[in-house]
Amino acid sequence: MKKILAILMVLCLSVGILAGCGSSANAPASSGENSSASSDAASGTKKTFVFGDNTFNASNEDPTINPHEAYSGWPCIRYGVGETLMKIADDGTLEPWLAESATNVNETTWEIVIKDSVCFSNGRRCDAAAVKACLEHLIEVHERAADNLKIASIEADGQKLTIVTSQPNPVLMNYLSEAYGCIIDMDEGITDDGIVVGTGPFVATELVTDDHLNLVKNTNYWDGEVHIDEVTIRNITDGDTLALALQSGEIDAAYGMAYGSYPMFENDSFKFSGIQTSRCFWGMVNFSTENPSAAIMLDPAVRKAIALGINKQGFVDVLLNGYGYTATGAFPETFAFGQGVKAESYDPEQAKAVLQEAGWVDTDGDGIREKDGVKLVIRWLTYPTRLELPLLAESAQATLKEIGMDVQINNTKDHNTIRKDPAAWDIWVSANVNAGLGDPANFFATYCLDNSVKNSGGHHSDRLEQLAAQLDVTFDVNERAKLAVEMQQELLDDNSYIFCSFLRMSMISKANVTGLEAHACDFYELTADLDIK
Amino acid sequence: MSGTVTVRIQKIKKNTVKGRLIFFLILAVILLLVTIFADRIVPYDPYAQDLSKSMMPPSSEHLMGTDRYGRDMFSRVIVGAQVSIFSTLALVGVISVFGTIVGTLCGYYGGAVDAIVMRISDVCLAFPGLVFALAIAALLGGGVGNAVIALAVISWPKYARVARSQTLALKNVPFVLAARLSGCTSLQMILRHILPNILGPILVTAMLDIGTMMMELAGLSFLGLGAQPPTAEWGNMMSGGRSMLQTYPWLVLSPGLAIFVTVVIFNLLGDTVRDYMDPKNSRAR
Amino acid sequence: MKKYAVRRLLQLIPILLAITFLSYGMMRIAGSDVVEQKMENTGETVSQEIVDAAREELGLDKPFFVQYFSWLANLLRGDMGTSYVSNKPVFSTFVSKLPATLLLTFVSILLTVVISIPLGIWAAVRQNKATDYVIRTASFIGNSLPNFFVSLLLMYLFAIRLGWFPVISKGVSLQSVALPALTLAIAMSAKYLRQVRATVLDELSKDYVLGARARGVPFTTIMMKSVLKASLVTIITLLTISIGSLLGGTAIVESIFMWDGVGKMAVDAINMRDYPIIQAYVMWMAIIYVVVNLITDLSYRFLDPRIRLGGIEQ
Repeated sequence: MKKILAILMVLCLSVGILAGCGSSANAPASSGENSSASSDAASGTKKTFVFGDNTFNASNEDPTINPHEAYSGWPCIRYGVGETLMKIADDGTLEPWLAESATNVNETTWEIVIKDSVCFSNGRRCDAAAVKACLEHLIEVHERAADNLKIASIEADGQKLTIVTSQPNPVLMNYLSEAYGCIIDMDEGITDDGIVVGTGPFVATELVTDDHLNLVKNTNYWDGEVHIDEVTIRNITDGDTLALALQSGEIDAAYGMAYGSYPMFENDSFKFSGIQTSRCFWGMVNFSTENPSAAIMLDPAVRKAIALGINKQGFVDVLLNGYGYTATGAFPETFAFGQGVKAESYDPEQAKAVLQEAGWVDTDGDGIREKDGVKLVIRWLTYPTRLELPLLAESAQATLKEIGMDVQINNTKDHNTIRKDPAAWDIWVSANVNAGLGDPANFFATYCLDNSVKNSGGHHSDRLEQLAAQLDVTFDVNERAKLAVEMQQELLDDNSYIFCSFLRMSMISKANVTGLEAHACDFYELTADLDIK
Repeated sequence: MSGTVTVRIQKIKKNTVKGRLIFFLILAVILLLVTIFADRIVPYDPYAQDLSKSMMPPSSEHLMGTDRYGRDMFSRVIVGAQVSIFSTLALVGVISVFGTIVGTLCGYYGGAVDAIVMRISDVCLAFPGLVFALAIAALLGGGVGNAVIALAVISWPKYARVARSQTLALKNVPFVLAARLSGCTSLQMILRHILPNILGPILVTAMLDIGTMMMELAGLSFLGLGAQPPTAEWGNMMSGGRSMLQTYPWLVLSPGLAIFVTVVIFNLLGDTVRDYMDPKNSRAR
Repeated sequence: MKKYAVRRLLQLIPILLAITFLSYGMMRIAGSDVVEQKMENTGETVSQEIVDAAREELGLDKPFFVQYFSWLANLLRGDMGTSYVSNKPVFSTFVSKLPATLLLTFVSILLTVVISIPLGIWAAVRQNKATDYVIRTASFIGNSLPNFFVSLLLMYLFAIRLGWFPVISKGVSLQSVALPALTLAIAMSAKYLRQVRATVLDELSKDYVLGARARGVPFTTIMMKSVLKASLVTIITLLTISIGSLLGGTAIVESIFMWDGVGKMAVDAINMRDYPIIQAYVMWMAIIYVVVNLITDLSYRFLDPRIRLGGIEQ
């Protein structure tokens, strides 16, 4: 029965190829402009779309759309030029995209079948050999990708791609869904401006770093009809300019607007598309004994009181205008590995009681508690580039003051240098994408383990190390989720990490724009569905 | 026009100038008094947060509305005067005095010292302030005091250059030459003849700088220099409310109004002091 | 005269050396580097090996002096290096930003002169009359408004309400330059018109003016021939400083209006710790200063006979 179905599917797909790639066989290769011109003639009116984005610039590591360079894959995938083998759904699970299936043959071998219908925007068919050429170039030039993927060899046979990794890599397919995994036509190469040819609904025609990117409709698109004929992406880094440009109608949609501007667009002329992301605002406690405040931070009662004393709900509802979500653990509850963790919630009375019990009492009447002559002063290190962070700091400062804690904020761009000095801070609060690829492992590996690059607080737990080692070799998704939940609980139980909120990523567009949807992993923005009514 | 008439006109002028001087001095003193006693005269605790009262528009209860933490803006603006006015005055005072002294000496003596000092001032002027401010932030840490230091180092040459060019212009003027021939020492020359004559432009520059420097100080807070939260500081409050200019205008307009009033008072005072000290007026005396 | 100019230009060399060395050192003191900044901006993290490899590739692991002198050696061979961020040659990146900044500088200075000189003179002539107070109040307002505030007001008025100019610039054009230039001109005019007023008042109270008036020389002639000319020394000193800083780019205004000039480039580079671009920027600033100051000093000679060339040099 299954076999018959499979055969039917293959038949259907091959018809699709004939219709999709075949139609372009007579069109010259790499002819984005030509093909768009012909479609204009056919349809008469051109639909254009202008998108304002504050991330499309070199300082955000997105100078071009070449996925094989730094983080430039982000604009490549976001603006619908490139597509990856698998897609990360909003709940963190993987869905087929260019690949029909990906099977884990053994711990180090993966078999991936590319969909028959897929072709590049220049009309070339995207078979396994094309994917192999692309990935081989990727791991040759992109260190981060090579390090993540751990690919030892790749073989191509028709639509079947076989990847062998140098060591067990349970999250290979997640990493291949990273923006750098965009499949591009290596025969076309990469232009000096950083333009590539991908399989997506749009074709790049002009790129000026830090300024704009022009796209036209991919008439050969393998997955349906593209509705918009021309797209311009404008880099607009200033939040107010972005808002005014949308107000004046110079752009049709905006990404990265400041919260303060939202009320201007909360009306019928505009619409919001928002979703919870795994970008988390959280604090790391300094456990170093070299810290002069070690007597404070090493006291579990103080850490518990901090966790109890931060008004996460108030922060999200009022300071973020409701455009955010409170956090319990490191990951949103929309992910399987974000469910079922427990943490302290805002309870100032209990916080006071905990401190009182531990011997922290305000003896001199200045509102700040002391113990053995040590004042309860917490140095809160954070930075201003993420505008939510200073808000969180100031809000926590006020609520913690009520329970008798003096929070001294150090809000500086220089935080990455300061955090390396264990005597200079007590809690480091930052904003990070904790599960960008739908998998929890990277977060722990980066912040919580003995060999983590950013474990600046020096937190150590034997149990956590043990679980992390187990996570490294666990392939089953459900098992991984269970381990991740247990690991988070380990962090939360002694309040060594305090998770405050998750970002709600929003795109605002004119009301007549349809098909522009925000996604949890922030990779997918412009798709074939995009239209202007 | 006969001599007596001129003298009389100048006397009248002098009297009105004196009146204006007193008037603006009183205003400035009131401003400073408000600043000094800010803590005692505010209607609310400027640091008390109440999220249930977030972003309330101005009303009789909250004259300037509330900010997003539900803090009373009026109280914050009044208390903000302390950091804003004192640090700005300190900054402008330091750079104008230092710059004028250096510039006058360079212009008067010239020579190798002048050349070296002017090259140093070239380097200071040409050097991007942001690079310098970042380095200071990393070296000394945050805080208003350090922000003042950072700005002082890059802003003094402006005064030095104005003072120097004025001194150069004056050096060969007959009355100065005459004074020198009549045996004035260099110190006397500078104090009696050069300084009083170049003070006008310097004073105007300094008084005008108050507004600018207030904003520059605020700009540095973004780098982690300058006032740290929750300290109320005008420039900081203004840039903080920036994205809400269309939605919650009072967040920007209240501190903006405070800066405007301060700038106006100090500017008018500066003008009047300049008129008062004008050598033309004193010669008529 | 020629010799003097050449000598002044030669002074550029020690200044360039001092300033590039200083900026290299300062950025080092400021901590962090391009590799770390990139990690922070993307919010994602990579392993220490990759960080180290990236640093090694850029030579950031070498001692400070080695880095500086290898940069200097390359410079002397005419190679300004490539940007750490965009991987494009520094020189061409820099040159591509120049036209925008030059246009913005030119237009805003022009606007400033057109606004501030007549208004300043008018205020001085009508000292302590209604006109004077209105002009001065306007200048106080201009002086106490931060750039971002003025630019937002202008955008709101001219782009949204009237629709005359675009909010975001579309290339280097006169239509796009209007709003950023006006923003800058408003702030500068506020300052200048008061300086102009002060200087003109100074001149007007001088005996030669009284004398000329007593002899029946028309007021306009006195203004144009003597007062204005004498006031020019101060005005030119100030303008010089402004042109210098405008040519160095105006980070805030350039980024608000998405005006792709030198200032925006510099701030981005500083934020990213993109040393090669910062060095190019710092050198540019030094060159502007020396050249512009030279021009000013030379122009003094023609405008003010009191200053002799010797006076400047000694």
